[in-house]
Amino acid sequence: MRRLRAFALRVAGLFAKSQRDREFDAELDGHLQMHIEDNLRSGMNAEEARRQALLKLGGVEPTKEIYRERRGLPLLETVLQDLRYAVRTLRKNPGFTLIAVLTLALGIGANTAIFSMVNALLLHPYNFPELDRLVRVWENRGIDEGADARFIAPQDAADLQSGAPVFDALSTYKCGDFNLSAEGNVQPVLGCRVSANFFEVLGVSPALGRAFSASEELTGADQVAVVSHGFWQRRFAADAGLLGKTILMNGKKYTVVGIMPRGFDYPVPMELWVPLGLNPAEKTDRAKLSLESLGRLKPGVSVAQARSAADSVSQRLQKEYPATNANRRTEVLQLRRELYLYTLPLFLLLQAAAVFVLLLASANLANLLFARIFGRQKEIAVRTALGAGRWRLARLFVTETLLLSCIAGGVAVAVSFWSVKVLRTSIAPSWTMWVPGWDGIQVDRTVLGFTVLLVAAVGFLFGLGTVLYAGQALPYATLKEAGRGPMLGKKGRLRSALVVAQVMFALLLLVCAGLTTQAFLRLVDVYQGFQAANVLRTEIRLPEKAYPENSQVASFYDRVLHGSASLPGVSAAALVTNSPASNVDNETTFFSINGRPAVKSSEAPSADLQVSSPDYFPVLRIPLVTGRVYSYADNASTARVAVISRSMAARYWPHGDEVGQQIKLGPADSKEPWMTIVGVVEDVRQNWWNPTSRPTIYEPFFQAPQRSMVFLMRVASNPAGYASGIREVVRGIDDQIALTGVGTLAREITDSIAIIRIMGVLMALFGCVALALSSVGVYGVLAEGVARRIPEIGVRLALGAEPHDVMKLVLGQAVKLTGIGLAIGVPIAFAVNRAMSSLIFGIVSINLLLLAGFTLLLLLVALAAGYIPARRAMRVDPIVALRYE
Amino acid sequence: MAQKKDVWQGTLALMVLKTLDTLGPLHGYGIARRIEQTSGDLLAVNYGTLYPALLKLEQEGYISSEWGVSDNNRKAKYYKLTRGGKKQLEREAHEWEQTTAIVARFLAPGEEVS
Repeated sequence: MRRLRAFALRVAGLFAKSQRDREFDAELDGHLQMHIEDNLRSGMNAEEARRQALLKLGGVEPTKEIYRERRGLPLLETVLQDLRYAVRTLRKNPGFTLIAVLTLALGIGANTAIFSMVNALLLHPYNFPELDRLVRVWENRGIDEGADARFIAPQDAADLQSGAPVFDALSTYKCGDFNLSAEGNVQPVLGCRVSANFFEVLGVSPALGRAFSASEELTGADQVAVVSHGFWQRRFAADAGLLGKTILMNGKKYTVVGIMPRGFDYPVPMELWVPLGLNPAEKTDRAKLSLESLGRLKPGVSVAQARSAADSVSQRLQKEYPATNANRRTEVLQLRRELYLYTLPLFLLLQAAAVFVLLLASANLANLLFARIFGRQKEIAVRTALGAGRWRLARLFVTETLLLSCIAGGVAVAVSFWSVKVLRTSIAPSWTMWVPGWDGIQVDRTVLGFTVLLVAAVGFLFGLGTVLYAGQALPYATLKEAGRGPMLGKKGRLRSALVVAQVMFALLLLVCAGLTTQAFLRLVDVYQGFQAANVLRTEIRLPEKAYPENSQVASFYDRVLHGSASLPGVSAAALVTNSPASNVDNETTFFSINGRPAVKSSEAPSADLQVSSPDYFPVLRIPLVTGRVYSYADNASTARVAVISRSMAARYWPHGDEVGQQIKLGPADSKEPWMTIVGVVEDVRQNWWNPTSRPTIYEPFFQAPQRSMVFLMRVASNPAGYASGIREVVRGIDDQIALTGVGTLAREITDSIAIIRIMGVLMALFGCVALALSSVGVYGVLAEGVARRIPEIGVRLALGAEPHDVMKLVLGQAVKLTGIGLAIGVPIAFAVNRAMSSLIFGIVSINLLLLAGFTLLLLLVALAAGYIPARRAMRVDPIVALRYE
Repeated sequence: MAQKKDVWQGTLALMVLKTLDTLGPLHGYGIARRIEQTSGDLLAVNYGTLYPALLKLEQEGYISSEWGVSDNNRKAKYYKLTRGGKKQLEREAHEWEQTTAIVARFLAPGEEVS
C-alpha cells in the first residue's frame, strides 16, 4: 500500500513541476541560509561560511537533480518526452501520418471485420454443444449431382443407425409450413416434424417442459408440440401456463409439452416442432427419400470413419434391395461445413484478400518509414554525434512508430466496428434470418485482442527496423556527405524490392478482385431466360386434410388464377413448383424415353421436374424455342403432355426431332403415364450456384396438381402494390389458407445473391485499395530517390543534359520497378486464377484482356506516381544543386 | 554499490524517524545537523542526500511537512512524524535490533578464534 501511495505521488510529481521546483528551491535556500548563519556564528568570514555550507550540502544543482529523480519517475519522464517529440514530428508531417494511419487502419480493420464474419459464420454458426460431432446424413441416388436436396429414406436411416455403430444417435426430420388457427385467423407457422431423439442429437433440452418420447413418433400419439422461445413470446405473450394447453394446426389439436430455450433454431428459425408421426408403412419405406437427417457422432469418431461405416451399410443395402437402393450412396458431411458449402470458398478468398491488403499496407508503411529515415539521416547523425546512444535512439523511433500504430489501431478498431455494422445491416433481416450464425456476427474479442497485439508488434518492429537501418550510418560520414551518399547500394535495393513486392501484390489483388467481381457480375445476371421485372410472387400451401383430392386442389388454384387475372393491371398469373432464385434446387427425377429403354436402371436419364400452369411461360417471359407450350385445354381429361427445356432437347434429341416424342417419369415399366413432348422452351437458371441450366421437364399443373405451389403474377407496374389484392382473392376462396413470402420476384433475386454482391463489392474495394497503396509506394521511392540525386541531376544538367533526359531517367526507374513487379506477378496471377477457378464457381479461365488491362493500369499508375518527382528533377537548377557540393 | 546505497538509505530513514520522534517537528537543516552530531561522519560530506530521503518518507506517508518559521525568523519547511511513521519507527527499530543482535552473535565467536 505504501509503495502504491508513493508511486501515485510520484506520478503526480510529473505534473505541476515548476511550482514544486520553486518550493524546493525555497527549502534549499532556507537550509543554506541557516547553515551560513551557523557558520558565521562559529567565526568564519562571509565567503568561507557560504562555501562551507554549499560544500556540506553537496552542491545546489546535484541536490536538486537527485531530489527531482525521487520526485517523479525518470523513465516515465523520458518516455513522455519521447512521446511529445513523436507527436510533434507526426504533426509536422501530416501527409505522412495520414497515409500511414489510413493504410494500417484499413489493413487491420479489414482483417478484423472479415475474420469476425468468417469466425461467426463458419466456426460458430450454431450454439450446440460439441458442434463438430454433428453431421448431416443423406442419400445420393446418383442423379442428384449438383442438387442440394439432402434426403434419406426412413428405413435406410433406421438401418444406418443400427448397422453403422458410429452414431450416438441419428435423428430424422421433415420441415414445412403449418397453418395455425388462432382466434378465427389462420397464420402460417414454420415447423418441423422430428424424430423423438432430435433434441437429444442437438444436445439441447427444452427450457420448460419436456421433449418427445419414442412412443409419440407414431401416428395417433403424435399430437404434441414443442414450441420455440420466440413463438411462445410472440403468440402467447410468454404465458407461463402454455404447457399442457392445446393449439389447433392444420385442423388437428396439438398439446404443448415443451418450450425451447431462447436462441434455439434448427434447421432454420423454427416456431415449433412436432413428432414425425409416420404410419408403419411410411416408417419402413425405402423407395422415397422423404426425410432429412442429422446425426451425432460418437466421441472420437472422425467424419471419415463415419463415411466408411455408412458406405458399407449402403453397399449392403444396394445388394439386398436393388429395386430401390441401386446406386444409392450415403453421404456424411459435418453440419458446420454443409451450411457454407457454396460460400466457403468466397469467405476464404475474402479473408485471403484482407490478409493481402494488410501485407500491402505493411510494405507500404515500411517504405514510408524508410523514406523518412533518409530525410532524417542528418538529424540522427547529429543526435549520435551529441552522444545519444543507440538504445536512446531506438526508444525515440520505437515511440514514434508505436504512437503511429496506436493511432492506426484506434482507427482500425473503429473501422472494424463500423464495417461489421455495415455488413450486418446491408442485408435484409428477412434474408439473414436463414443464415445461421448471422446474428452472432460482431467484432470478435479475440480478434480485437489479436489486432491490438498486431498493432503493437508492427509498431515495435518498424521502429526497431528503422533504428537498425539508420544506425548503420556513421555520423561523421553522414554529416560530411550532407545526407545523400551512403544510402545507395544495399539499402536502396531493399526499398526497391519492397516496391517490387508491392506492385506484385497489387497485381494479384487486382486480378483476384477483377475475377471475382466479374464472376459476381455474371451471377447477378445469372438468372437468364426469363424476366423478373413486374412480377409478384407468393407461396401457397394447401393442407392435405382440407384438400385430400387432386380435383379439389386443381379447382382451388383454378379459382385463384382466375380471381387474380381479373385484378386490374394483371396481365397473367401462373403457378410453378419452384420459382427461380428461391435458393432451393428443383426436384430431380428419372425419366424414360419411349422406344429407348435404359439397359440398366442406373443408366436411366435424369432431369429437373417443374410443374406449372400454362401461363408460367408468358408470366416469366420464357421464350418458346419450338412447338407450343401447354394450355388450359391440356387438363385432367386430355392426353398427357410435357414441355422440355432447350438443354434437355439438345442432350437427348440432338437432331431436333423431340416434339411428338414420348417420355414418362421413372423407369419405362412404371405405371406413370407417357407424356407427349409438345414444345421446347429456353433454359432457365434456377439458382446462382448451379453451374449450368439443368435439363428440365415441365408438366402441366392441371394434369398433375400439387398442394404447395409458388404463385406468380405479371402486372403492368408496381408489383408490390398487388400484395393485398392477391390476399383478398385467396381469402375469398378459402379464409383458412395463409400466404407466405409475398413479394416481388425482382426483390427475391436481389436478396438471393445479397451476400455475394457484398463480397463482390468488398473485393472491388480491396482492389482499389491495393492500387492506391502500390502507387503511394512507387511515388514514395521515386520522390525520395530524386531528392537524393538532386546534386547528380544538377551535374548532368550542367554538363548539358536536356530536361526531358532527366525525366526519362526518373520515369525509367518507375517503369523498371513496376516492370519487375509485374514480371513476377503475372505468372503468379495465372496460378492464382487456376486455383480460384477450381474453388469458386463462376470464375472461368483468366481473362487476358483483364490481365493486360490491370498490367497497363499499374504501369500507368506508376508513371503517374513518378511524374511528380520527375518534374521536380527536371526543374532542378544546376547552380543551386551544385552549391550543395 | 546499489546494496550499500540501499542499506544507507534504510539507515538514514530510520535516523530521520528517530530524530523527529525525539525532537519533534524539525526542518531539513536541523535534522541534518542532529544526525551529523549523533552519527559522527555519516552525513559529513553530503547534507543534500537527506532531501530525497525526506521526500520518500513523505511520499510513503511516514512524515508530513508544512511551512513554518525557524528560531531566527527564517521561513523553513518543518517535518513531523505521522502516526504511521511512529509505528514504522517501532517496527524498523525492532528489526534493526534483531538484525544487529544476530550479526553480533554471528561475529562474536570469530573474534574469540582470532
